[in-house]
Amino acid sequence: MRDKLEDFVSEHRDEFDVFEPRPDLWQNICQEIPAPEKEAKVINIKFGERASFSADFLFMRIAAAVVLLLGCGLTLFLMKQNAPDANTMMAASQQQVISNIAPEIVEVEAYYVSEIEEMKGELSEYDKKILGLSGQKEIDRELARLDSSYMQLKKQLYTTPNTEEIVEAMVQNLQIRIEVLNRQLEVLQNIKKMEKTINAELKENETTNI
Amino acid sequence: METISYQDVNSQVIDKCKEGDNRAQYELYKLYSKAMFNVSMRITNDYSEAEDVLQEAFISAFKNLHTYKGEASFGSWLKKIVVNAAINAIRKRRSELVPMDERTIGDIAEETYDDDSEWKVEKVRKAIMKLPDGYRVVLSLYLLEGFDHAEIGDILGVTESTSKSQYSRAKKKLLEIMKEPQFAV
Repeated sequence: MRDKLEDFVSEHRDEFDVFEPRPDLWQNICQEIPAPEKEAKVINIKFGERASFSADFLFMRIAAAVVLLLGCGLTLFLMKQNAPDANTMMAASQQQVISNIAPEIVEVEAYYVSEIEEMKGELSEYDKKILGLSGQKEIDRELARLDSSYMQLKKQLYTTPNTEEIVEAMVQNLQIRIEVLNRQLEVLQNIKKMEKTINAELKENETTNI
Repeated sequence: METISYQDVNSQVIDKCKEGDNRAQYELYKLYSKAMFNVSMRITNDYSEAEDVLQEAFISAFKNLHTYKGEASFGSWLKKIVVNAAINAIRKRRSELVPMDERTIGDIAEETYDDDSEWKVEKVRKAIMKLPDGYRVVLSLYLLEGFDHAEIGDILGVTESTSKSQYSRAKKKLLEIMKEPQFAV
């Protein structure tokens, strides 16, 4: 027999859920979810009755593994000696491909990158902690976000038929970065200026007081 | 024997989550976070603790998603994780969750509902939150989360009959609270 309280609750079940978690909780969760692991495939070979087979051949298996490893190591070593660094080759060929697809972006990118580096250098001259600049983390995050979307755009360049649009987006991305850094620089300069005037006023006050 | 696998509406999303797709994970979170937060709230009765539990539960759910084989709905699988995390949380803060004395249901008089016409969700909900932990947990699990007494016994590590009697007492206490003058809204 169902009772009245149970009936009442089940009738109004949805209305009992009145609380909401704070919206940014997902960020915390998101950060702690481990990156997907590639599931290791284990091949099980069952010999049934002849289970002792594996034990008998254990030594042989280890020996085979050692030989294999040595062989691989040796070939790798030899290859490394003969061939120039594979990484630099890859990067160079990638750059080549890009300059074929969208020759203008290579130059533009080089220009902006040097510009951005310069601004970052200027920024690092300010001691942000002493100036009490909050929000540095957000700026860093924003820059990182821009960087990753830039990388994505760059990848798309290889596949998209409409390179113009992508290149435009890439340039825009670089410009936004400059803008962000510019703003930050301005803020820092303002703080510096304010500090200077405050200090000057303080000194003036001191001298007049004496 | 053939096992009937539960056809979940979210099975596609869940498969993507298993591959580590961030967007799919967020989708699942959006879908279930509110309901699960309320489950957690009812057990812990504390906002920030409920959030910690929710966070812990979702992280552990995503980590252990490969163990979810679709034998129940995803919601109830997740709810089990949340409930366990929440109960662990209040166990940590209090020595004993359910100070169960093993009285049977027999010696508790049948409740009388004399003013049930005035029940409002808000009133019942607030009264539940005023119950002591042991009562609130059993009552919430049974009444709102839809577990039966055998399952509650498993979760809390007590017998089914203890859960039953605890529930009866909780219900009685709840009705008393609702009769208190400050509750006569």
